[in-house]
Amino acid sequence: MASRGSTAVANQSSVVKWVLRFLVIGYLLMLVAWPTAYVVKHTFADGLTGIQDALADPDVVHALKLTAQIAVIAVIINTVFGVGMSLLLVRKTFIGKRALSVLIDLPLSVSPVVVGLALVLVYNGRFGWFGPWLEDHGIQVIFAKPGMIMATCFVILPLVIREVVPVLEELGDDQEQAARSLGANARQTFMRITLPGIKWAVVYGVVLSLARALGEFGAVKVVAGNVGGETQVATVLVQQKYQNFQQETAYSVAFMLVFMAVLCLVVVALLRPKEQES
Amino acid sequence: MSIEIKGVNKKFGDFVALDDVNVSLPTGQLTALLGPSGGGKSTLLRIIAGLDSADTGTISIEGTNATELPPQKRNVGFVFQHYAVFKHMTVAKNVAFGLEIRKRPKAEVAEKVDELLRLVHLSQFAHRLPSQLSGGQRQRMALARALAVEPTVLLLDEPFGALDAKVRKELRDWLRRLHDEVHVTTVFVTHDQEEAMEVADEIVVINEGRVEQVGTPDQLYDEPANDFVMGFLGEITTLNGVMLRPHDVHISLTPQLPGAAEGTISRLLRVGFEVRATVLTDDGDEVTVVLTRTHARQLGLETGVRVWVTAASGALTMPSLSVAR
Repeated sequence: MASRGSTAVANQSSVVKWVLRFLVIGYLLMLVAWPTAYVVKHTFADGLTGIQDALADPDVVHALKLTAQIAVIAVIINTVFGVGMSLLLVRKTFIGKRALSVLIDLPLSVSPVVVGLALVLVYNGRFGWFGPWLEDHGIQVIFAKPGMIMATCFVILPLVIREVVPVLEELGDDQEQAARSLGANARQTFMRITLPGIKWAVVYGVVLSLARALGEFGAVKVVAGNVGGETQVATVLVQQKYQNFQQETAYSVAFMLVFMAVLCLVVVALLRPKEQES
Repeated sequence: MSIEIKGVNKKFGDFVALDDVNVSLPTGQLTALLGPSGGGKSTLLRIIAGLDSADTGTISIEGTNATELPPQKRNVGFVFQHYAVFKHMTVAKNVAFGLEIRKRPKAEVAEKVDELLRLVHLSQFAHRLPSQLSGGQRQRMALARALAVEPTVLLLDEPFGALDAKVRKELRDWLRRLHDEVHVTTVFVTHDQEEAMEVADEIVVINEGRVEQVGTPDQLYDEPANDFVMGFLGEITTLNGVMLRPHDVHISLTPQLPGAAEGTISRLLRVGFEVRATVLTDDGDEVTVVLTRTHARQLGLETGVRVWVTAASGALTMPSLSVAR
């Protein structure tokens, strides 16, 4: 999109061009770069001691591990369902398809806190709609990992689908039909034709969901017990440490979260051009 | 008979795409499904391939009832109008696809791919991606890909429709030669009557979901079953209550033949070697006459000249109000 913008602007006078550049760069600087840089600055104010101290705290290590665990599981679930639902939305016609399409965007518009509350209402072990039955069968959802994974899945639901659907639509079903006529069954067609075609959309969707899952706060905070060392994820820990005047630790963990997210984006940026050459 | 189609009906909502179609397509021949756009010919082809299903009726291919078989079990090769190439695979991989799905030994696949690429003159492009090929080359690749699985029938859906006129003509000749070499039962869909007449052994004319006529190109041209077929296979004009081809109209400056209608030339249009004259007869008919540039010059035709027009001897004529069905 950046290149399209610059070609359009190229026709205008250079003054307008510079003003626009200044505005965009200034906006990004004030909103994103500067605050993030401050987190980094505070993290490394005393060299690496901040990070070392933070990692010495067992609660921090546990929170980071838990966050990673929940994010990976939620992303795997979301990828499988996301690709499946995208295929359903693009390739099949059925009653209620538009309603489903709208429903998928719901997590984007609803506050994550509401999502958390809704899950508590349904799966709560004491007065929930479905929770007591599950608890009788030995499955605790709320204040435990299943609930946290569900909350994360809910929040990242649209991210894979919204990446994959337009690519599937553009791809069309010609190639799939050709594969079928050449003897491929449904699974072979998907693995050899459809999946390679949507590969990059899926990768982007996964990276976006992973970044979002690592940073999820509201929904997870409501459904998790937030007991340090047990059911506390990294984002909640950052908030708690910050409020307890352990700013050093809060900044260090915040930096690690940012670092992971940036790493995801860099990995994709490095992978992509290689793929296009081959 | 290679493909038997019996009592096939197909509706899309209220639209009747196929209306009780019964036709048999012979083994080893090149058959054209010819008709105007939206007439149901592509739908019929897709039903033969199993890409669409008929509402009622049966399809059998080489004696096997294929009505309920999914496309991958019908052993048909299908070539799409817009090529449907596998974009992420090289030309060789595209052609090898069907064989790899069938788990043939590697050496056999390589040999077969080599042979087919030679057949379609794409050997030097084996390791390119389809995006580096021209439209004509892509369609030849798609053809090789379809032929690789040694299909019982080869189905082509407007195979040259997306190509420019010159390439289309080349590929048309090439398809005919290819068919003479491989002899696989081939059915292709086209709306271009010239293409059908030039390439096909047999033509099935389809209009508004019905089969209008089945026959060789000569039969269709010389003995059209009805006015639709006559009109679709070439231009027609009406003179003295009969329909005939504009080049079958005899035009003269004096009343030479009995029964000739007198009229005035209202318009002359030259297209290359051809001159198209519009004659307004005194009976009120508007007759189109096609003659060569040389002939028109010999007669000295110009707008406003009085002429006599009649059907030339041996011309194919058909009563103009007949509905021959």
